[in-house]
Amino acid sequence: MYYQLINFGNEEFHAYPDKSLYWKRLNTLIVSDLHIGKSISYAKNKQFLPPYDTKEILNKIFVSLDKIKPSNLIIVGDLLHDVFSILSLKDQDHKNLSQYMKNTDFIWIKGNHDKNIQIEGFKNFTNYKIDKLLFTHIPIETSLFQICGHYHPKVKISHRGKTIFKTCFIHNEKIFILPSFGILTGGLDIHSKQISDVLGKNNLSIYPVGLDKVYKL
Amino acid sequence: MNINKSNPLTLHPLTKWMKKKKWSWFQHQIETFQHVRSGSDVVVFAPTGAGKTLTGFINPIDDLIKSKKYKGLHTLYISPLKSLANDIVRNLEKPIKDLDLNISFQVRTGDTTPYKKQKQKQKPPNILITTPESLALLNSYENAKEFFHNLKYIIIDEIHTFLDNKRADLLSLNIERLQTFSPNLQRIGLSATLKNKQDAKKWLCRKKPKIVSYENSVLPKIKILESKERIPWSGHMATYSINEIYKEIMQSKLTIIFVNTRAQAEYMFKNLWLINKKKLKIAVHHGSLEKNLRLKVENNLSKGLVDCVVATSSLELGLDYGDVEKIIQVGAPKGINRLLQRVGRSNHNLNTPSKAILVPTNRFEFIEAKAAIEEIKKNNLDKIDLKEGSFDVVAQHIFATACAGQFEINDLYKEIIKAYPYKKLKLNDFKQLINLIQDGGYVLKNYDQFKRIFQLRENKNIYKLVNRRETRKYRMNVGTIIENPMLKIKLGTRTLGNVEEVFIQNLSQGDSFIFAGQILEFQSMKNNLVQVKRSKSLISKIPSYSGGRMPLSTNLANSVRALLAKSNMWDFYPEQITEWLKRQKNISKIPKKDEYLVEQFPRKKNFYTVIYTFAGWHANQTLGFLLLRGFKELNYKPLGFVANDYAIVLWSLKEVKEIKTILNLGLLDEHLDNYLEETSIVKRLFRDNAIISCLIERRLPGMEKTGKQVLFSSDLIYTVLKKNEPDHILLKSSYEDAKKNMIDYDRLREILKKIDKKIILKKLTSISPLAVPIILEINRENLSKKETDEYILEDLENEILKEANVLSIN
Repeated sequence: MYYQLINFGNEEFHAYPDKSLYWKRLNTLIVSDLHIGKSISYAKNKQFLPPYDTKEILNKIFVSLDKIKPSNLIIVGDLLHDVFSILSLKDQDHKNLSQYMKNTDFIWIKGNHDKNIQIEGFKNFTNYKIDKLLFTHIPIETSLFQICGHYHPKVKISHRGKTIFKTCFIHNEKIFILPSFGILTGGLDIHSKQISDVLGKNNLSIYPVGLDKVYKL
Repeated sequence: MNINKSNPLTLHPLTKWMKKKKWSWFQHQIETFQHVRSGSDVVVFAPTGAGKTLTGFINPIDDLIKSKKYKGLHTLYISPLKSLANDIVRNLEKPIKDLDLNISFQVRTGDTTPYKKQKQKQKPPNILITTPESLALLNSYENAKEFFHNLKYIIIDEIHTFLDNKRADLLSLNIERLQTFSPNLQRIGLSATLKNKQDAKKWLCRKKPKIVSYENSVLPKIKILESKERIPWSGHMATYSINEIYKEIMQSKLTIIFVNTRAQAEYMFKNLWLINKKKLKIAVHHGSLEKNLRLKVENNLSKGLVDCVVATSSLELGLDYGDVEKIIQVGAPKGINRLLQRVGRSNHNLNTPSKAILVPTNRFEFIEAKAAIEEIKKNNLDKIDLKEGSFDVVAQHIFATACAGQFEINDLYKEIIKAYPYKKLKLNDFKQLINLIQDGGYVLKNYDQFKRIFQLRENKNIYKLVNRRETRKYRMNVGTIIENPMLKIKLGTRTLGNVEEVFIQNLSQGDSFIFAGQILEFQSMKNNLVQVKRSKSLISKIPSYSGGRMPLSTNLANSVRALLAKSNMWDFYPEQITEWLKRQKNISKIPKKDEYLVEQFPRKKNFYTVIYTFAGWHANQTLGFLLLRGFKELNYKPLGFVANDYAIVLWSLKEVKEIKTILNLGLLDEHLDNYLEETSIVKRLFRDNAIISCLIERRLPGMEKTGKQVLFSSDLIYTVLKKNEPDHILLKSSYEDAKKNMIDYDRLREILKKIDKKIILKKLTSISPLAVPIILEINRENLSKKETDEYILEDLENEILKEANVLSIN
């Protein structure tokens, strides 16, 4: 798999087109905003999205774990969409998860969507510090470098008279935001107020995610 | 006019009123009255000005007077447009008030206040004038059955607009529902003249079906603008003749200029304004303008307060503008029916001919305009193809039915297949649509506890809505017209109308564009409102709107081909056209009316193949793509293609040697799926299907979800569904829609079936005169986004003309 090299907080990361981020020095894989079970949570409001998102997200993460075999998997929040989401995890899914947990340490940082939910066998944290890096769902006041999720960043690209929106990895000097790893999750323009308030407008490094490549703007 | 001594209408209450006005009954009105009185469902075909509206009401008024103080709803009148519904009320009001008849009548559309709607439900009028969408809503109320059980007549106005679209499907289902409520209900259809009258009859009538027809013997006077300027080779803006058009406006009291797109309307308006030395009152009217702006123009038009209105199809139907003296059609007529409808907007008097002038914007359009005039003389109208009913509309109807109360699936199925578009609906597909409404209808049963409708335990064939709250969601989603995400344009606090979101996304702050006849500068976008200010910029863009591109009708296409081949007519054309065709004949060939000319020539470093199919834009676009794939497979290294209504041009790096073996049905079978996939045609239609079938919610003003997000999530749903459940009913439905609407599958199939024996292949050393227009389109398409500067285009045009060695023609 092709990856894009990203330097952030004096560390080297690899950004993959499946929207995961790999920290080679510590053999750690980082993902964010999986929103497992979004479809079932919509179904309770009678919006019947295809119920295949959970299966696809888990497959995606398993494929990545098989390939990279990381020592740690850090989930930077919103693993689950809401409390109903657990319904979409079948027995087999739980079995598969515990199988992977034998070789990889799962670190589940709670997000706004899943802060009150527990899954058997999952350790969870409000945030997690490694060296000078802080993993947190939403950035907080700190002098540390932060790696977060929450915003599902998307960048608008206009070129030769055409405009497209692409999911992206994005960071400034201190804060890094991951794209959503989910299937039915939308995105937020990086120039929206919510993201500008966090990252500012200048000195941004933006990495749009293509079909099988992560680009650099 | 046609006073019959034994006129059965002599005693009709309206006869007295007509006499006072010095009017008399038409023969078709008498016939309609008799047929309906003897229990027939009737479709009446008559041109505007032949008292169509009144025709529909003859029997209802007669019956209402006879039955005295009729309680409840007696007659339903369905109009395709809200504005038309209001007009009908005004027309009905006159005789009823003058004669002091004890008949109540009201209008009910999306514009009716909730208070008034509530009143109507409690105490219905005798006659209710409404739209298909409002009817669908009425049928979704719990008391629908009581509301309609005394209904005696349903009148469908302008039924020809209801035959070939999803709105027709929705209406047909709701008419059958009414028939179930009130088995004695009679149907009356009012239509403009149509070629396949029998089809309209089949669509509407059940009881002793009858057709009544009035043929107008006064033909419209249509001519082509005589211009001193040369008609351009290509393009769609009539800039060359703007001064002559202006002269025509000056010479008439009131003119409507019809154009084919909203962008053309803005452009034409702007150009007229630039030369408006006499300060004529000119206005612009199209579907994206804010309602009150449109109403203002319509009002001024009916009062004769303007000199000219530039309009799109938005003014084709609607109010009777008695003072309109002249119609100018700018651009290709595209179809006979459409042209007649437009021409009919002038002089609403049966005995004086309508007057119209056609302004072709390029050379092929000249031939097309000429052909259209010939066909109108022969009264050879286009056929309207009835469509098979779409699945998504049935799903919406099932939801509506559930909102009205519990239902038995076999009863519902039997009722639905009585509707003409759904005669062939399979029980199995119907059941899948029930499941779609129930819980999305997925194979993976994840949503058992969240169903929208459920089966009763004691009878599994009876379904019931889980929660009354769902009715609100149905009501938000009702209807079959889905627009692209639009943004409101605000000038100060005034709303000017809507522009597609995609267009705005491509603008930067300070860019200017033309809208509502003004040059505007884009300032900012906040909360889905686009703030603009007036600008004096000379270079400005014009918003375009996707969809709604009308392809050339098969009927008119055949006529164009026949006319092109008639070389004895050429001498009557403007010199430049004559020369163009003659030179084509010498250098290459003019195809006979059943031949397909294919020209091949080298140009610059590439190799060009031009195929003259006259198949209309949709079919040509599809064929172009299929050929691109075919060329790729044979290693001709194709680089691209451009299609218009008449032809396709492909260019490749290598010479295409075997065009005859590749142009056949196999091409369609082999590459069609790829085409649908790669061009995301099905994906786009899936969004409409998902909204119409109520799988996802429609964006409504004031909702936090922007159109962008709806579009985005429907794409995601499409992708997930396609991967996991490719047989899902909504995918099937979207695929069928694509075949029917976007790619003109049947038309293309017909052509490819017979084309291989009719190909005339010409290998040329350079571009032919006939190919110049489409070759120019290649460059225009690539240029238009950045450069609209006419000088550059002209320069380019000259360069290509020199190459074709035809510059001397001018």
